[in-house]
Amino acid sequence: MMIVNYIKVAFRHLLKNKLPTSLNIIGLTVGLASIMTLGFGVYSYYDADSFIEKKEELYTLKTVLANGDEIDQTTYPLLGEIIHTSPDVAAATHIQGWNWPWLKVENKELQKNTKYVDTSFFKVFTLPLKYGNPKTALQGKYEIVISDEVSKQLFGDLNPIGQNITLDDSLNVTIQGVFKSLNPYSSLKFEVLLPTALLESTSDFKQGANWYNSFSYNYIRLKKDTDINKLEGDIWEIVMRNYESTKGLERIALASFLNYREDYNPTVDTIIKGSIATIVFVLIIVIINLLNLNTSVIYNRKKELAVRKIVGSGKRSLIAQFCIENAMLVFTSLIIAGILFIQVLLPAMNTIYGSRFGSIHFDLTSDYPIVILYVLSGILITVIVGIIPILNIISMPIILSLKGKSQNTNKSFFVRNTFITIQFALAIVFICVALVLKNQIQYMNNVPLGYNPEGVSIVKLNLDYKDKEAANSRIAVALEELKNNPYVQSFSTTEVIPTSYRYNYNNFYDPVSKVELGIRKGHAGQGYAETFGISLIEGRDFDELRDASESKSVIINRKAMESFGWSSIANKKVVEKGGKEETYNVIGLLEDFHYQDMQNDIEPILHYYGGKRGLGYNNSYLSIKITPGKEDLVINNLKGAFDDIASRHEFNYEPMNARVSSQYKLLNGILNTVNYVAFITIIITCMGMFGLISLNARKRVKEIGIRKVLGAGTGTITYLLSKQFIKLVLLSCVIAFPIAWYVMDSWLQNFAYRIDIKWWMFAASGLIALSITAITVGFRSIKAASANPIKSLRND
Amino acid sequence: MIKITDLEKYYRTEEVQTIALNKLSFEVKEGEFVAVMGPSGCGKSTLLNILGLLDDPDNGSFIFNGIEVSGFNERKRANLRKHNIGFVFQSFNLIDELTVFENVELPLIYTGVKPSERKKRVHEVLEKMQIMHRRKHFPQQLSGGQQQRVAVARAVVNNPKLILADEPTGNLDSSNGNEVMDLLTALNEQGTTIVMVTHSEHDAKFSHRIIRMLDGEKVTENVLV
Repeated sequence: MMIVNYIKVAFRHLLKNKLPTSLNIIGLTVGLASIMTLGFGVYSYYDADSFIEKKEELYTLKTVLANGDEIDQTTYPLLGEIIHTSPDVAAATHIQGWNWPWLKVENKELQKNTKYVDTSFFKVFTLPLKYGNPKTALQGKYEIVISDEVSKQLFGDLNPIGQNITLDDSLNVTIQGVFKSLNPYSSLKFEVLLPTALLESTSDFKQGANWYNSFSYNYIRLKKDTDINKLEGDIWEIVMRNYESTKGLERIALASFLNYREDYNPTVDTIIKGSIATIVFVLIIVIINLLNLNTSVIYNRKKELAVRKIVGSGKRSLIAQFCIENAMLVFTSLIIAGILFIQVLLPAMNTIYGSRFGSIHFDLTSDYPIVILYVLSGILITVIVGIIPILNIISMPIILSLKGKSQNTNKSFFVRNTFITIQFALAIVFICVALVLKNQIQYMNNVPLGYNPEGVSIVKLNLDYKDKEAANSRIAVALEELKNNPYVQSFSTTEVIPTSYRYNYNNFYDPVSKVELGIRKGHAGQGYAETFGISLIEGRDFDELRDASESKSVIINRKAMESFGWSSIANKKVVEKGGKEETYNVIGLLEDFHYQDMQNDIEPILHYYGGKRGLGYNNSYLSIKITPGKEDLVINNLKGAFDDIASRHEFNYEPMNARVSSQYKLLNGILNTVNYVAFITIIITCMGMFGLISLNARKRVKEIGIRKVLGAGTGTITYLLSKQFIKLVLLSCVIAFPIAWYVMDSWLQNFAYRIDIKWWMFAASGLIALSITAITVGFRSIKAASANPIKSLRND
Repeated sequence: MIKITDLEKYYRTEEVQTIALNKLSFEVKEGEFVAVMGPSGCGKSTLLNILGLLDDPDNGSFIFNGIEVSGFNERKRANLRKHNIGFVFQSFNLIDELTVFENVELPLIYTGVKPSERKKRVHEVLEKMQIMHRRKHFPQQLSGGQQQRVAVARAVVNNPKLILADEPTGNLDSSNGNEVMDLLTALNEQGTTIVMVTHSEHDAKFSHRIIRMLDGEKVTENVLV
């Protein structure tokens, strides 16, 4: 019965105090929704690998080079040899990427991320199967295991065990297992598993899987108490015995799987750690503000609490009453925050980070632990903000609270001021970071690229054609039409285009000076420089008319020329190292251009001749420079030609401009996130400050009344109440500026092309914080200052 | 019912110590109606707070119902208070968020009375105070006299042995003030002991005995009946 009374009073009280109630709900909702979103990201990250048992027994193999670099791959046969010779290995498997075969069932056909694994795969990774038996799956050569998503697309809701799938129209395999689709944050990334036995029987794989090429990913489960150093020694002996060359190799290391994701993608690790820090920070400011607001509200209710005590209420029931009031606030906000999280923030997070790290989705049936966690956090917040503000009041002598007087609260004011200062300092850091980030992105967008993306359209050439020869001839016709199209200024087919150079390096040396360089390389063809408007400063472009001899020609950039120590490319040759050494004539010199984003510097690059324009192994992109306004016409014609060709992927094209701006999609996403965090920090801090100044105004109501009777104007009183907060903001600036400078300066070091941090960025952030404070504080102060002094004095 | 002997209470600030009660002694018998008078600052309210177990004396003895209570801790005092003492204040001290009914019901909730019994007793007392028709209203919707009648109703709903009234008519006009005094007199006639602090000679005349105080000491004691 008591509880009904509590709820009734709580409800009436919340309704009566509409402004503090709304402020509390808004602040809490925004804060909790952010915590939920970030928390869900963190939860998904840590939950993603939870199916893998005893991770501490798991290791991967890393090749450590003499220069200290580490590569995650080794030669393919190494793992088999380790299994044969080492008693410490409990189980081991390759997870080998090679090709993604098309999977066909009746008229349904799809292509998904496919990995080839050994028969021990399920002993190494405890991946639970929805259908099928992990002990028997993938033991035979013609077996396949698929994710439930793939299964759903091919077979609907049926159990597909025992069904056949045709790979690339040529090979039948039987489904032996279906696993629940992996979380995109998982260490393992695949939707289809095939046995390595199948891969090993293909001739091109057999050719590469020797003791020379390092392209294999290896996963080993070791027995307990294995001596890692000794095993690494044994492995090195195998390497010494078998590798065709150990030049440049230092050792093969066993790397713990526990650090796998952090090693593999440090950015994700940074984002997760940043998220955890932000969660803690937002949670703290949410709690502090609720404490501040509650303290302010409770000050008004001292009399009520005193009366309750006089008529017989104990401390516990007062605390219970206050907790129930807060529970109503917190859980209302929690529900709104939940809706905001699912409907707005999670989709927004997926838009920002999804394309890079994979989209995550909330599913109550599997994600209920996080819901329980949110509810528990709600209870914890309720208890903290329900108990602390009331403790001071209920421990006061009743007669004091009945008179509405307070005990000395200088200490608690100091604590609250400290919190306000810390909050503001953090808000200012965030504003600074956002300003610097925004300027850096703007700067990168405005740096001259060294090429002209305007009017260039990019068409992907590799569409998995069903009949390659037919495709070749149809596309040859289409390209011939392009040559004669008056609106096409130039076009080229290449392996690389700006924004899309592979991390493919090799060593080249000048046969005369013997200077040797590591150069990034790719295939291009006639028209490449012209289409992209890259300036050809010496020599000539590739020429299809010299097709036969052109394979010995290369075009380099200025950086490569300078790195060789040349002042001209006239009569220059380069020799490619490794295996059979090839000599190339340097026929053209390109002015340096930004073939990758501004985070990275321009390196020496080299283009081989990729062959005549058309389909081909070395031609991934068709780039066309079109007269402005005629893009649709030209592209539609081309699409018509591609539509004639049977292919598994659809024709698609993209304006080069879009590719260039999408380079900074992640950075823009981070900028949006920082803006958002800065915004909620400010909102929540302002709410806390609003509560504080309300409390302050109430405490000083008599002083304000007397001052006004003695002649003080509204302006003077407003200044009196506001000055303390303005001082706090200025103090926050002093704390925040060096931190912001340090953070942004170290972050900018990651960019090859970066802005200088300017004084005005700090001034602007300080000014923003100050203006917001002035508005918040001013609003409440003016209200207090313009109250009728007779009223306030009579109340006393 | 009440016996205080050599009661002392000091208020200390950093530099000054003020004596609020100075070796005060008197007795109040069960069923008595005693008025305490004196100028502002003479210690009346301090006395009432101590009698109401809201404050602790610094020295001296306070026997309530035959029990020495001066050394009681907060919990014991609260327990004794909620079963035995009702309060009436100058400023009514009703809870704004509760209706008339709920305000009067509150002491019964805290003493654990069952809902049906509570309803009965609240209705009885509201009838007696002639405020039944206003039971669903909130305090702000009532006149001062009505609010004080609600406060009296709340003070007596638990059938306390003692009612402590601190300037009960101080915020009321004379006709409303008289009504409240009539209520208190009626309660006293039904056996409730009343100690009332007042400035008003008129109100004091309703009592059986007037204790006059100055500077924390009793100066005179007049029996009226």
